[in-house]
Amino acid sequence: MTRYTRLVAAAVLLMLVAGALIFFYAPEDFLQKEPQRIFYLHVSAAIAAFACFAVVLGASIAYLRTESLRADRLARAAALVGVVLTTVTLVMGMLYAKPIWGTFWTWDARLTSTLVLWIIYAGYLLLRRLAEPGRQAARFAAVVGIFGFVDVPIVYFSVTWWRTQHPGPVIISDALPPQMLFVFLVTMACTLFLAAVMVAIRYQIETLTDEVPSPVVQLVGAQREPEPAR
Amino acid sequence: MTRSIAVAYAVARKDLTSEWRTRELVPALGQFVVLALVIANFGFQIDSQNATVIAPGVLWLALVFAGLVAFGRAFAAEREQASLEAMLLTPASAAAIFAGKAIAAALLLIACEAVLLPALALMFGTPFNAELVAAVLIATVGMAALGCLFAAMVARVRSREVLLPLLTLPLWIPFIVAGGQAVQVAMGASGSYNQAVALLIDFDILFVVLTSLAARFVLDD
Amino acid sequence: MSAIVAHEITQRFGSDVALDAVDLALDEGEHLAVLGDNGAGKTTLLRILATAARPTSGQLAIFGLDAVRERKALRAQIGYVAHAPGLYPALSAAENLEFFCSLHDVDRKRVPEALALVGLSDVARRPAGRLSRGEQQRLAIGRAVLHSPRLLVLDEPDASLDSDGPDLLASVMRGRSVVLATHDHALANRLCQRTVMLRNGRSLGAGTRLRVVR
Repeated sequence: MTRYTRLVAAAVLLMLVAGALIFFYAPEDFLQKEPQRIFYLHVSAAIAAFACFAVVLGASIAYLRTESLRADRLARAAALVGVVLTTVTLVMGMLYAKPIWGTFWTWDARLTSTLVLWIIYAGYLLLRRLAEPGRQAARFAAVVGIFGFVDVPIVYFSVTWWRTQHPGPVIISDALPPQMLFVFLVTMACTLFLAAVMVAIRYQIETLTDEVPSPVVQLVGAQREPEPAR
Repeated sequence: MTRSIAVAYAVARKDLTSEWRTRELVPALGQFVVLALVIANFGFQIDSQNATVIAPGVLWLALVFAGLVAFGRAFAAEREQASLEAMLLTPASAAAIFAGKAIAAALLLIACEAVLLPALALMFGTPFNAELVAAVLIATVGMAALGCLFAAMVARVRSREVLLPLLTLPLWIPFIVAGGQAVQVAMGASGSYNQAVALLIDFDILFVVLTSLAARFVLDD
Repeated sequence: MSAIVAHEITQRFGSDVALDAVDLALDEGEHLAVLGDNGAGKTTLLRILATAARPTSGQLAIFGLDAVRERKALRAQIGYVAHAPGLYPALSAAENLEFFCSLHDVDRKRVPEALALVGLSDVARRPAGRLSRGEQQRLAIGRAVLHSPRLLVLDEPDASLDSDGPDLLASVMRGRSVVLATHDHALANRLCQRTVMLRNGRSLGAGTRLRVVR
């Protein structure tokens, strides 16, 4: 087993443990009943997604300052994982909202800004795909990565200022019973670990993609002629 | 600093002179926004009851898409003529060149707003007042800064027609939220106009500063 | 003093290598021709020398200044004629040059001089979009010398010039250091003291006159 297979096995195992805790250990919520169990993964995925985009922000700033190829690869890897986790957050959130609020979607600040986040970083991935690979693509993407991260709190703020109905942060405010808090913290730790493993694997893939020379260049290299004498 | 202002002025003047001579963009955009109003009229069944509720949304939709065309065009033209590089290979700063392009594009969009706002008042029977004009103009500043930054970026990328709205629209949402509120109030809805406009000015300052910092990375190699 | 000292200039686009460790030296006042087939890396090399692109690796000094860190200062001393003329079709020939005067921060009095140098004084007020392809190329050359650069970087400037093109180029190049990319071996021999051959992004050495390297 390579290092990555072991990491993946550990991440999957941890997620299964978290799943078991969510379904068999966590108590049923008095008001929301069974659907409340979505909460654990929903919020964990959201936090992990934010962590990924924070990594994109950091790596993007680092790239603009140093042009380090590693920073760029890290940004690429974290953006992709972040988009996947945001998708999970949005889908779970909609499933959670239907029984609780009676609708899949409402235009409140948290939902809107998460959706905008998803759109911005999906655009980021598309830009990476469409721009000629190289320094320019990396620089453009870094600018999008930074503007995207700056924009999200502003979208959040401007919609809040307008109207909102999403519950506020329940974790800090002591509202969760200890058992629920425990399950939530375990799930969050497992999700963060999973996200880190995915970013690491993706980083490795990006490294390999960068290093494979195109077949044309290999051919030319093989047939290179000796330097002619002056 | 005076050098940068002189450069920005020269670039903006060059773009506006070109537009004045060819009349490529503004007449087309003017027609486009009037068409948008006509379509909205049939789509929404506008009458004197619902006009002030629907008009702000129609205004922002028309403006946003006209803006995408105006800002996209500002850099697409430079790309087709391969002239952006010639500008950058002078000692003039990239931020000043970018500022000139953005100012010209914003003025062209304002020319199109000069058609849109009266046409909206005329065809929908909504109030036309200084508050309305001020809110739209203030929002235009920040939207132009962001729109031009991404237009400069996608001008060098494949499938730019698709990518420009995808990158720009999400970043414009704050302007549309606050601008939408300001326009609704200007048209008679309840709410705080001053607060919305103060927010718009904050966004303007933030994004003008950010885009001028980012311009160098987008324009120069 | 050397006008250009380039050491192991390499340019990659993704995993494609456009230039592979190219060395180049140019003395002040010297004229160098860069020859090679399409796709050999001529334009990539010239864009780097004109500070329009940065190499992936390698060192480049122009007039003793680092071409990446001090490119703002260098751009005032380099004139570049790219493949495409890069003009504003709605502006007249003179207005095009006046616009670039304000970017270069040089006096507008230079405009008539530059137009006369490239033989466009008669069509100064005609929109650039209505000039012939050859006249547009002349205008682009006029723009490149507007700020009296010490180094000229010319990417196939003869492409659409008519029969007196070589004479025009010779008069523009006089007294300046020049790097000129071309397909035309005869032109290279006539205008330049030295030639470099590029193939597949590699330099095949330099000679005082073109030698056949097949």
